[in-house]
Amino acid sequence: MNWLVGIVLLTSAVSGLLVVASRVPRRQVYAMAANGVVLALLFFVLQAPDVAYSEIAVESVIVPLLFLITLAAVAVNKVRR
Amino acid sequence: MTGYWRLALLAPALIVLAIAAAQVILAMPAFGHPLSQYGTTVNALAPMIRNVSNMVAAVNFDVRAIDTLGEESMLICAVTATVVLLRGHRGEDMTECAGRLAGREWLGRSAATVLMCRLMATVVFLYGVFVVLHGTVTPGGGFQGGAIAASSFILIYLGEGYSVWRDVLHSEIFAAVEGFGGLAFALAAMVPLAFGYAADQNVLPLGSWKDLYSGGLMVIVNAAVGVAVIGSFGVLLLEFMEETRAPKPGDEDDEDQEEGA
Repeated sequence: MNWLVGIVLLTSAVSGLLVVASRVPRRQVYAMAANGVVLALLFFVLQAPDVAYSEIAVESVIVPLLFLITLAAVAVNKVRR
Repeated sequence: MTGYWRLALLAPALIVLAIAAAQVILAMPAFGHPLSQYGTTVNALAPMIRNVSNMVAAVNFDVRAIDTLGEESMLICAVTATVVLLRGHRGEDMTECAGRLAGREWLGRSAATVLMCRLMATVVFLYGVFVVLHGTVTPGGGFQGGAIAASSFILIYLGEGYSVWRDVLHSEIFAAVEGFGGLAFALAAMVPLAFGYAADQNVLPLGSWKDLYSGGLMVIVNAAVGVAVIGSFGVLLLEFMEETRAPKPGDEDDEDQEEGA
């Protein structure tokens, strides 16, 4: 069990680093969604499946979508002006 | 201040920080060590006195239901503020098609995408409702189930496109659903007061352990939270998605007039 926690902790650190390291906002959004999945896995391994649910639904689905919409809206409105 | 002096200042600060951090880390309890007496108490008592098997629900919807009512109000307030900000700038009228960057090719979507989105939207929505309904029995509950159900709406947009999304999902319905959920929670807190109990006191029959409808008032509060979260997230997604719609000629002028009025 402990090595599983260790692996997931390492993965979450790496995926979190990828969010910070990517400089293109769109890639950053996808990296954040992936980071959400890894964090959900971490919560699941630490026996908090209900938190894993919210993590997937909010950080991997809804918040990335809101960011993507915002990026699209910025692009569309830039053309408009 | 030059770079040299900054580094010279940084070095002692780092040393002090390292010593302090090492002391705190060494004094910490072991990883996964059960620490909270509150948690152990709830784990021991909730199945007996509330007949539920999900302790998180017991804490959120019964022991600390008033806190959850506050969080629920915060969610509704935040969504309302977003709607006021976005719609206030954009206006309330609707257009038929989504906005598109000029010169960007429209690739269409394959039949497989449409089919998978239709199937998965149904499955995900039903799974969200399932998680809400089993809130007092299995891990999950109102917020989680509501968020899962709301994420199925995104699949409608992905599979059907903007105009169908606009036809199927209506802001008024989501707003009504959200308000109904909030009202149901507030009533669940207030009605016991009217009969001389404490606010949110669990006065309903508790049902039997591991049963779908165990937990008395918790079932109602849990469902209310689920409904309110579905409505809130639906309103939020709709409002954000409207930001990408195609601008109509003269849109900007209309907005300016509305802002002036």
